Amino acid sequence: MHPFDRAFRFVLPAAAVAILVTILSVGWLTEPDRFAKGYAPEQPIPFSHQLHAGTLRMQCQYCHSGVDKSRHAGIPSVDLCMGCHKVTKADRPAIQKLARIAQTGEPLPWQRVHTLPDHVFFDHRPHVNAGIACQSCHGEVQTMKVITREMGMRMGNCLACHRDPHAALPPGSKITRGAENCAACHR
Amino acid sequence: MKTRLPDHGPVEAPRFWRTLEERVETPEARQAAHDEFLPGAVPAYDDVHGLPPQSGVSRRDFLGLVSAAAALAATVGCDRKGQGTVVPYTKRPVEVTPGVANYYASAFQEGRRVYPVLVKTREGRPIHLTGNDEHPGVRGKTSPRAMADVLRLYDPDRLRAPKAEGRTIGWTEAEARLHGSLQAAKATGKPVLLLSGAVASPTRKALLADLKAALPTLEHLAYEPAAGDAAEEAARVSYGQSVAIQPRLAKAKVILSLGADFLNGEDPETLAAWGAQRRLKSAKEPINRLWVLEGPLTLTGTNADHRYPVAPSRLAALAFTLARELAAKGLPLPAGANLSALPGGAPADVPTQAWANLVKDLQHAGRNAVVLCGAQMPAAAHQAAHLLNAMLGSEAMALSPAEPLATTRDLEAAVQGMAAGRYAAAIFWDVNPAFTYARATAWKDAVAKVPLRAWIGLMEDETAAQCQLVLPENHWLESWGDYATPGATVLQQPTVGTLYDTRQGEDVLLGLLKALGAAPAADYHAYLRARWEKAGLQGGTFEQALHDGLVKTDAKPTAPAFRGASVASAERAAKGAEGFELVLFPGFAPHDGRHANNSWLQETPDPISKMTWDNPVAVSVQDAQALGIQEGDFVTLTLEGTTLRLPAVIQPGQAKGVLALALGYGRTTGGVAKGVGANAYPFLGLDPTTANVRQGARLAKAGGRKELSRTQSHHRMEGRDIVRSLTMDEFLHHPQGHHHQPELVTLYEEQKFPDHKWGMVIDLAACVGCSACVVACQSENNVPVVGPEQVAKGREMHWIRIDRYYEGELENPKVVHQPMLCQHCDSAPCENVCPVNATNHSPDGLNQMAYNRCVGTRYCANNCPYKVRRFNFLEYTAYKTEPETLAYNPEVTVRPRGVMEKCSFCVQRINDVKIRAKGEGRSILDGEVTTACMAGCPSDAIVFGDLKDPESRIAQLVTATRAYRVLEEVGAKPAITYLADLKNPVEGGHHAN
Repeated sequence: MHPFDRAFRFVLPAAAVAILVTILSVGWLTEPDRFAKGYAPEQPIPFSHQLHAGTLRMQCQYCHSGVDKSRHAGIPSVDLCMGCHKVTKADRPAIQKLARIAQTGEPLPWQRVHTLPDHVFFDHRPHVNAGIACQSCHGEVQTMKVITREMGMRMGNCLACHRDPHAALPPGSKITRGAENCAACHR
Repeated sequence: MKTRLPDHGPVEAPRFWRTLEERVETPEARQAAHDEFLPGAVPAYDDVHGLPPQSGVSRRDFLGLVSAAAALAATVGCDRKGQGTVVPYTKRPVEVTPGVANYYASAFQEGRRVYPVLVKTREGRPIHLTGNDEHPGVRGKTSPRAMADVLRLYDPDRLRAPKAEGRTIGWTEAEARLHGSLQAAKATGKPVLLLSGAVASPTRKALLADLKAALPTLEHLAYEPAAGDAAEEAARVSYGQSVAIQPRLAKAKVILSLGADFLNGEDPETLAAWGAQRRLKSAKEPINRLWVLEGPLTLTGTNADHRYPVAPSRLAALAFTLARELAAKGLPLPAGANLSALPGGAPADVPTQAWANLVKDLQHAGRNAVVLCGAQMPAAAHQAAHLLNAMLGSEAMALSPAEPLATTRDLEAAVQGMAAGRYAAAIFWDVNPAFTYARATAWKDAVAKVPLRAWIGLMEDETAAQCQLVLPENHWLESWGDYATPGATVLQQPTVGTLYDTRQGEDVLLGLLKALGAAPAADYHAYLRARWEKAGLQGGTFEQALHDGLVKTDAKPTAPAFRGASVASAERAAKGAEGFELVLFPGFAPHDGRHANNSWLQETPDPISKMTWDNPVAVSVQDAQALGIQEGDFVTLTLEGTTLRLPAVIQPGQAKGVLALALGYGRTTGGVAKGVGANAYPFLGLDPTTANVRQGARLAKAGGRKELSRTQSHHRMEGRDIVRSLTMDEFLHHPQGHHHQPELVTLYEEQKFPDHKWGMVIDLAACVGCSACVVACQSENNVPVVGPEQVAKGREMHWIRIDRYYEGELENPKVVHQPMLCQHCDSAPCENVCPVNATNHSPDGLNQMAYNRCVGTRYCANNCPYKVRRFNFLEYTAYKTEPETLAYNPEVTVRPRGVMEKCSFCVQRINDVKIRAKGEGRSILDGEVTTACMAGCPSDAIVFGDLKDPESRIAQLVTATRAYRVLEEVGAKPAITYLADLKNPVEGGHHAN
């Protein structure tokens, strides 16, 4: 076989396939939403949003009370949980653990589910004050037994909504666009 | 990277200049003005194929590694598993919402001066300081050093537990030892020495009185090495007691400074009054006039309308002559003042016409004139100033009794007492005499003879090393306290819990008091509160006083009466010896040495010399020429057997025959302070009347040069029309001078600003150059510190700098200070050249910088005509760990290596106000958004606001007659407008109105 023949018949197709496989696998591996979506780590207390926000219909802001005052929605302090759980279901092991933490003051390390890079300064206030539902970004939290990430939270997610926010905003809202300049989030 | 210098042809010497090289237009200066980065700042391509020599990696290897690393990072970086943890409060304090700042009123003391401050805390940690706006004196302003002191709270060198003989012990053991020896001292009746800083707190004073009652042999000395012994001595002669002199510039029409640096940023009240008198809308408004007679060039001297270089030893003779002339013109001479011994005629130091004008000015202004004397000047000059003020009946200053301070004479007595074994114990509280006392060796030998030496302080210093018992103290942001200030009694409250196992000094003394049998309150908080509730609350509650940080008082202390002055002292002071006259003054950054470990301050350029991280000896232009000294040359400075080898700088405007050297450098302890500069304390004199002005110093070239970490030669803007300075006459007749409004043609589309257009106005007439804005910005925007070597390469990172321009003759130039920061141009040259669009324009007029987009080409910096972009050449912050990182503002990104950065107009503050206003359904109010530099500026020279709001303060100011934009002809359309500087010299017979 002529060396050129071999090159055209085997080496080139094999190389093409190898390159294609590399590109696809790197693309697949680095596809951001693949890792971001569905991220549901085990939490130190098996807290169920389905029960609290769904069945019991508690307001999100009852626990995440910083959301309209601060950049951060905030994780409720342990004494807020104990407000109800001093009495409610006090026999459950998880609640007993909570009570122990409330008493000793030892840290309660919740696993972070939604996060942004350090150079992003997302602010909850304007979004919540405009009437955007928490579910628009955080998914149907009231149905989640274990809190699970529904959105990749890439800049594309932000900009898609900032350019056309109708889907997220409550009906009748006069807001047509969100900020698109860099310094709105990066500073 | 060097680019070819275009051939300008012969260039005239510039009207304004910043360095000596710039004035004589050396080829190096021309090239430096042409290039953005200094030689050495950017490694040459040829050196090692584009890599800094230290790396030792070839270019090819480097690229290979980079691509491999990038591929790896891309794969791994997208894995968002393991996002870290969020730890909530167990019990959330009611006032804390994570992400929202809380403000607490407190107070900071430096020497005799007290700064009521507002502390910004985030999640319980203090991160930024401004003045307390409730205080009738400071009105929301403070000093650069006070603002920078938040960094000291997080200093990693802080002592974390008590130590005895170098071994860490608990408080129980430490207290047992301290109490044991003091109980023994009480039993034997042997004296105990307590050396502390100035006492400005009524409760601390009460506590010391209680301690004195329980331990009658206690000898307390309040020691402030930078306060100026001469001022103290002179006050005792003139008024029979220690006094505090507070200028009241609002009432001053004519000010004569005898080496007084009252505009140096230390006194926000005076700076506010100065700014208010200088921010003129029209030339018809009244303006004050400042005459300055001084040896070294000070900030006050740079702001003078008339300044004459005079050796400090001559000041007294001059001032007494002035008094005699004023007396001859009919001003009453107080009893006890006899000036007949003085020779007649105008002194040789000041031109005859100027002297006559000065006399006339003072005479006309009468009680609206004030004479201020620098704390470091000889006692005789102070006495002369006291006499002049008494003659003028000056109302432009407030004279009040003050707590006496120990002078070198008292210290010398204590040293002799210690050496003779007189004391049973010595306690050093917040003082560092082992460093600040002139005779360090004698001190060391004497201290060793005291059986128990205890030290209370923040960071182990030279004195702690000589003590057996080393007790760590709280930072003032962790402590309780109170201060008496004019107009209000100020409360100091802790704004954070103690970071380490420390106690505040007062609590240590309270513990001692208990051990000695007295039964005061449980702790100092209770002690203070009980005292306040008994008196001092003026009907309000303690909580309200804490909230406001003060209780206003209208009690006016009775001014001590002037007792007379003798000219004999003037003659003694004037007797000049051979050699140079050496002036020793507290350094701008370290003050007396206590701030030497603060890197923010060390890197803030000295307002005059623009030196960072060093204290070279300043030599006058004439003396430098005579001795053949170049800038940076090492010299030996010798005085009475003490010799120092240190670099020299040539200081235009400094009096001939005078050398100036800053105190507070040359510390031997502290991670930052150690080895920075040279210790000048050994030169201090033991005669308290002239401790800081020494005769007979010798200067010689020592061979060798030092590369000075000096910023004034960086970021030049060629010889263009950058600063403008008008005299009152010019302001009246041609406010725009020969400047023409250039016709601007642009190829670019006009920017559109639908809602807001943020802009700034900087009034150069009000700006004194104190650098408070630089420190405020550093604290607000997480600006990194780079160190002396990097500064020497022109890599300092400050987002705002103050350009200091000289104008006129070398021997006594006029000076203009110009704050320079990103101009947020509408047609920004930096934006056009960024290949990745990392810097671009926002719809509200900000030139925004997206760090995460920046790839570090530095094109933007090269294309910026204002030289305000800063590049992170190295990783300046990544190595930082707690507690240092706790000082960061969490609202601003900490920038990594390879990223360009610059002033953002404090966009985090703009966004916050915007969001809050929107949430409340209202528009943004004028003055609601303040940048850190504006909030920090004590003379209100900086105004920030919305140019689209026609009612705003800034919209009115941009149309002022003094308004101009820097390099307007370039067509960048900057958003910052400058108002030309104003000087008010005597012109055509006009005198101060």
